[in-house]
Amino acid sequence: MHSRPAITGSLVALAVGAWLGAQGLGPLGSAVAQQPAPPHLIPQSLQIEHEDTLERLTILTHRPGAVGAEARKALVLFKAHIARESEFILPPLTLLPELADGKVTPDMKWALAMSDRVKTEREQIFQQHTQITDAMNALAVAARAAHDKVAQEFAEAAVGDSLNDAELLEPMVLLIGDYLRAKLPPGQ
Amino acid sequence: MPKHRCGAALVIAPRAMTVAAPSARGWCLGAGIGVLLAIASNPAAAGDPAAGKQVFEQQCSICHSAQAGRNAIGPALFGVVGRPSASIANYNYSPPFKALGVTWDEATLDKYLTGPRAMVPGTKMTYAGLKDDKKRADVIAFLATLK
Repeated sequence: MHSRPAITGSLVALAVGAWLGAQGLGPLGSAVAQQPAPPHLIPQSLQIEHEDTLERLTILTHRPGAVGAEARKALVLFKAHIARESEFILPPLTLLPELADGKVTPDMKWALAMSDRVKTEREQIFQQHTQITDAMNALAVAARAAHDKVAQEFAEAAVGDSLNDAELLEPMVLLIGDYLRAKLPPGQ
Repeated sequence: MPKHRCGAALVIAPRAMTVAAPSARGWCLGAGIGVLLAIASNPAAAGDPAAGKQVFEQQCSICHSAQAGRNAIGPALFGVVGRPSASIANYNYSPPFKALGVTWDEATLDKYLTGPRAMVPGTKMTYAGLKDDKKRADVIAFLATLK
């Protein structure tokens, strides 16, 4: 556990690092500059869900035997998929509350490129879901053999999340793109 | 009535042919070819339901139940053989599935399980397919027992 002075010291170091990063100065500044915040966030509910998924799966990677081995393979897939989702699949969904209120503004244009990319890469995204399903099948088989109910429930829930992505979230992003295109003033 | 009856099962047919009179031999050959054709067009006939149950549990059960009326992520597969596609009333099929219009028999299941997206582009089933012919025949044989 950290003591309070240590935490304060860390915060000061982080603040200095961030300032240096903003100025483009020093080795600390370089490290900070290499990890810029993503240009567009994803809905907070999905951010929490991602963090929870990765946390639970990471715990499973420490299980002995086949459960741990399958969880480790799955973690690689999940990280890649979540990175893809965070990069361009899910950010347009942050516009939904405003769109639902009937607001469409030119500064929403950024979502068009993301929506177009989802349309272009939809088959690849689907293939990634099939890989996750395969991995979850393998994890569920290992979990049943090990009588690991937690791992089994994780696998079953994760397959459900995959379906949620394919059935709801990705089509919604395409719809947002079409809606923006129809509603934004010409030339935007 | 021919002196030597030819067994319906392919495994008996070659032996029967060696002892049959010429006319009976022709009959047996025809029957043997018929059985071969039947197996080719009916993958479940060559499948092992017990092995198929294991394949089902490893590859399908995370999304599909084998019990009647228990839809999960995918529709319940009880009674799937002989059932028209997209015919479970309280399961929300994807639009391409609603438009598919086939009856699930051994041949259509074999084609679908080989490559779900190839047979039904746009299906929401996130499964790449079962490429192993034997495992596919086994799982179809198992599905045929679900009634």
